[in-house]
Amino acid sequence: MRFIRLSPMLGSVALGALALGCAGAATEVPDYGNVPKWTTRAIPEARGEFRVGPDGKRAAIRYRGWTTRDFGAFRTYAYDDTRPEPPVQKAAPPPGVTGDPKKGRALFMNRAKGPCTGCHLIPGDDVWPAGSVGPDQSTIGDRKLPDAYLYQLVYDPRLVFPNTSMPPWGTVGGLKPEEIVHLVAYLQTLKGPVPPEKDPHRNPFTRAKPVGFGDNLDPTNNPAVLRAEGAEALWAAKGPAGKACADCHQGGAVKAMRGVATRYPKFVKAYGRVMAIEDFLTVHGPETTGRPFPAQSADNLNMTMHVKMASNGMPVAVETTSPEARAALARGKASFYRRVGERNHACADCHTPEKGADKFLGGRLLGDASEGFTKHFPLWRTSQSDVWDMRKRFQWCMTPLGMNMLPADSIEYAELEMYLTTFDKGKPLSVPGIRH
Amino acid sequence: MAEIGKVRIRVPSSIKQGDVVRVRALVIHPMEIVQRRDGKPVDKNYHFIHKVVVTYNGREILAAETTQSVSENPFFAFTFRATEPGTLKIAFLDTHGGKYEGTVDIKFS
Repeated sequence: MRFIRLSPMLGSVALGALALGCAGAATEVPDYGNVPKWTTRAIPEARGEFRVGPDGKRAAIRYRGWTTRDFGAFRTYAYDDTRPEPPVQKAAPPPGVTGDPKKGRALFMNRAKGPCTGCHLIPGDDVWPAGSVGPDQSTIGDRKLPDAYLYQLVYDPRLVFPNTSMPPWGTVGGLKPEEIVHLVAYLQTLKGPVPPEKDPHRNPFTRAKPVGFGDNLDPTNNPAVLRAEGAEALWAAKGPAGKACADCHQGGAVKAMRGVATRYPKFVKAYGRVMAIEDFLTVHGPETTGRPFPAQSADNLNMTMHVKMASNGMPVAVETTSPEARAALARGKASFYRRVGERNHACADCHTPEKGADKFLGGRLLGDASEGFTKHFPLWRTSQSDVWDMRKRFQWCMTPLGMNMLPADSIEYAELEMYLTTFDKGKPLSVPGIRH
Repeated sequence: MAEIGKVRIRVPSSIKQGDVVRVRALVIHPMEIVQRRDGKPVDKNYHFIHKVVVTYNGREILAAETTQSVSENPFFAFTFRATEPGTLKIAFLDTHGGKYEGTVDIKFS
């Protein structure tokens, strides 16, 4: 599906059709006319803001250890970002450059470039870990493809395969023309037969799939459970306004919040937007208790888990039929298929079964969005030793794709999360989860 | 932080007589350690779990001294052979004289 942007007038016509009720959920043309402006209530690192140095250079304010590079040249999920995806370019190898297979192999493996090995398998015990999202290139030289054709495939494969997941490396400037010549020279040297594998884990086609981390609700197994239980004190503590959560929601979170989380993310009339529990807390918490609950703060995440745990085991019952929900889901779905960032990727490239889902991206097994991503969030990430919610996971996914992240509590992310949650409908909530 | 001294114990859901049972236990504890600046202690108000005692039907089967702080919310795992049904009691002792106990019933199925 292609991303189509409507003028506000056309948009209101589309919404009128929605209100009359069309068949099939979330297949409508997305309407961006009625989305309110939203002021972020996130911690500074999660707002997607920039620091401008005395030399005028923009450095992104992100979480500690994340890149500060500004990807402002590439389009994002922001609904007011009307830039089209980079146009398809026809390219020919630059004259006077002779390809060097050795340089090509180094480029193929260079983690600062692709790396190409993230998606394509090549021979060599130093290739670790190779992915299987793209075709196995171990014997591509045997196919005797013309150099110019391979050059075009690396420079901008969309000319040959319009629906490809591969980034247009030359068009976006990820690889220089002479670098592509070296890569093509290297690919032409790859000829069979392929030597037998010494280690079956090297090859993503024979690699064992990871098994989980055991019972996610066992506090001796999942540290996030203890953090969530720790929010019990916060639930009972009076804020600056003299009120505690417990004053209005009687009987403790376990009783008062039973089943609430199954209905989120949902359209909240009072604020005119789709909200997950995290977003709702950022406004509802300060309004009632006077205590700030900024998005991505420990208080916000722990309270979110505390509230969601009260619904554990209950089926996800996200609302998908009201006109507002249908409009939001249409926008969320459009975001899922929208090509963004320097690499011109869409979520769908990695997370749909017809593309990358259940294949290896480097050493990582890509999840399948249609199996449901959201029912166990927020979760404990063993690789990060911290609790992450869906939003930080979004931001984490998008930064290496070469796009500036949006605020954690943005409407764009909330509607994308709502779209993903529809795949979990009817499945039992199990918060906090535990993942790599 | 959750309530200090809350003990969580996990054992397998099904145990047969004579099985070697793996027990996982965790106690909520802040682990305040000696704060130093330039090598000199500035706050000696240390507070951590330094001893774990496990009894089974009143008989001590394990006593472990950690001698130093292990972790915030320290987690211990050990095995024992279950020869008779009974009550497993785990006591965590901290440097302020606190004693936090948790019990679990071992039943054969």
